[in-house]
Amino acid sequence: MLGFSQRSLTNFLFWATQKKWFLITMLVGTILILLPTPSGLTIEGYRIIIIVITALMMIITEPIPLPGIAFYIIVMEVVLGIGSPEQISKSFMNDAVFFIMGSLMLAVTIVQQGWDKRIALGIIRLTGNKTKNIIFGFTAISAILSSFIGEHTVAALMLPIVMTLIKYTSEDRNKVQGLSAVLLFAVAYGALIGSIGTPSGGGRNVIIMSYLREYGISISYLGWMAMAYPLVLIMIPIVSRILMTSFTPEYVHLDTGVRKLVVQVAKAPNLSGRDTVAAFIFLLVFLGWVFLSETLGLGTIALSGVLLYLIAGFVNWEDISRNTHWGVIILFGATISLGANIKSSGAALWLANQVIDIFGSIMEMFPFATDAIIVILTTTLANVLSSSATVAVLGPITLNMGPDTLHLGMVTALASAFGFFTAVAAPACTIVYSSGFVRAKDFLKAGWKVGTVSIVLVIIYANTFWSLFF
Amino acid sequence: MKFLIAVGSKEFSEPTLRVGLQVAKAFKAAVTIAYVGPKVSEFSSSQVRFTQERMEEWEFDRPGVEVLEWAFNFLAENNYITPTMVETGFPKNTLVQTSGSRSEVYLQGTVCENVNLILRNGDIIAELRDEVQRGGYDVTIIGGSQKRRMAHDLVQYIDSSIFIVNKYDKNKSYNLLLPVDDSMRSPKAVKFGARVAQAFDIKVNLITVSKTDTFGEGYTQASKRATKLMRRAGINHEHRFETGDPVTVIKKAAGNDHIIVMGASTKNPLFKFFTGSKPIKIMEDCQCPVLIVK
Repeated sequence: MLGFSQRSLTNFLFWATQKKWFLITMLVGTILILLPTPSGLTIEGYRIIIIVITALMMIITEPIPLPGIAFYIIVMEVVLGIGSPEQISKSFMNDAVFFIMGSLMLAVTIVQQGWDKRIALGIIRLTGNKTKNIIFGFTAISAILSSFIGEHTVAALMLPIVMTLIKYTSEDRNKVQGLSAVLLFAVAYGALIGSIGTPSGGGRNVIIMSYLREYGISISYLGWMAMAYPLVLIMIPIVSRILMTSFTPEYVHLDTGVRKLVVQVAKAPNLSGRDTVAAFIFLLVFLGWVFLSETLGLGTIALSGVLLYLIAGFVNWEDISRNTHWGVIILFGATISLGANIKSSGAALWLANQVIDIFGSIMEMFPFATDAIIVILTTTLANVLSSSATVAVLGPITLNMGPDTLHLGMVTALASAFGFFTAVAAPACTIVYSSGFVRAKDFLKAGWKVGTVSIVLVIIYANTFWSLFF
Repeated sequence: MKFLIAVGSKEFSEPTLRVGLQVAKAFKAAVTIAYVGPKVSEFSSSQVRFTQERMEEWEFDRPGVEVLEWAFNFLAENNYITPTMVETGFPKNTLVQTSGSRSEVYLQGTVCENVNLILRNGDIIAELRDEVQRGGYDVTIIGGSQKRRMAHDLVQYIDSSIFIVNKYDKNKSYNLLLPVDDSMRSPKAVKFGARVAQAFDIKVNLITVSKTDTFGEGYTQASKRATKLMRRAGINHEHRFETGDPVTVIKKAAGNDHIIVMGASTKNPLFKFFTGSKPIKIMEDCQCPVLIVK
């Protein structure tokens, strides 16, 4: 046919099948660009909305590699006249991108220090061998750690501990299905709820902080903690309880598992001078975040930590480079550029007004309705694409949905952590899923309960605790 | 010849492996057993890989290794690998990463010299296609799938014959159903079918289906050649002519107690993509193993 061999036609069809979502996205983009600009929206605003829609479609379906999606955003922003090449390249990089880069590198460094065995010993000493205490312990420790070092780092640290405990309890997977699920979800969900506690819990928090700064609102590290940490503490026992009721652990006590785990981790060498220095460097980073983030920026401080680890020789650059996902960093830069241009083109305000037009009467009738809309919208999007990308794109819109910008920004940031529903919603979920001990449907089984409770809780919390104290 | 057997899990892939190895033995073919793990979202891929590396320090295997170990044990129990290999056990330390997410371990076979075990991650069609192109396999053997488009994609995009071991029960006795017509690939399918029948020591039911009441010269000649081949090979067989829609007739004749062996369609790939083909429809609809010979 037209001189093409059967093989080349087959190759083309295979390419088209593999890239079908890219082709569909391009078709949607072309149709949208041919449609007239909606009234009240500038041509630049309409075009940036088209880029957002097409980019989100590709982020969800991943038909091309993530850096490819980032390049698509950059190219389209310039080609469609959203800004000059200089403006677009400037909007690509800010402290939030530095933070995401620094935190991914810190994760590699921290995990390589071998603290997992000490953490295991610490948890077991605190909880003893009662299953329900162990589940609470894993949820709590995962939450507390992820507040400071990010959810993916915690999941990477905790997964071997949990798996070892499961293996030592029973070698037969079928005899520990409930226990496996409850322990693994304790880690994943604990890490997710903890990540809302401080700005360094996740890149999304830093993105919201940078957006708030554009509105002249500055929130310190401790200020964020004061607003968000009580919610973490409230959620830990609730999530732990929901998990216990969703999956029934086969054992009330984990005597054998705990005993063998203690023996295994006891083989770890004693605390050395190097361990102390490594911990001290992280303490410096943490103190920097708490006291210097407003002047130096969270990203710069995270990179300072990486620099110190490199100078001390505790990690080599090859390991950092190999285990840091540069594609994700480039994509976050591109989504932050999108967010900046959604705001500057007036598209954010227009979109916020559209939401208000649709839900205006409900929002007037029920004082919590705005929060409910933001939380549901953010949670939904965060479960189908990256939470940081969700905040980067939704943030400029939600910040325009009411008079209290700080309140709206914080609600958006908190809700973006609720990636409980799917195995791909958050790196912590994907990491525990990759163990092969939980099934994709288990995420829905527990996720809808934890998700629903979290949504309700954050709305109540934001409208009571914050109203009283902030 | 080279056979690629794709396995999914210990629970569901035993029939695929059993049938695949039995057929491979009949052809004295080199065998590669491949496990393709699920695709990891690119957002988390480096973190998942990093975590799995950490898991190895805690003496945990990366996901999928247990499936290869199960395949090794199956090979050992059925004498497909040398006693020396069986004695040393599954050599997981020699599982070498060859490229990207692909890892490979070599074993010494008894039926043929090499038996390879391969671990991959990603989209199953893309990974198998890549593996077939890389290894130049003649037959790809895989279990049945719930995904309706799976059969289509396998036949359309994988450059080897495809054997879908659908709903195979080792306790059931099967016959071999061999549709014969004047198409280009029918003679190769007949030869293939004869070897499979010999491997399983089963009867062959040759069937020639015409949409009209008359059977053309090409059809009758093809059926004569097929019958002659079966007779010479000493295979118990019978032949019948049927009229009607070929897919419906073959599906009815196959029931759930036949292994179907038939030639692949020679239609243009574009037409096949949009309208399908008889072999693809049979593969999708029949409740028994189907081998499409290319």
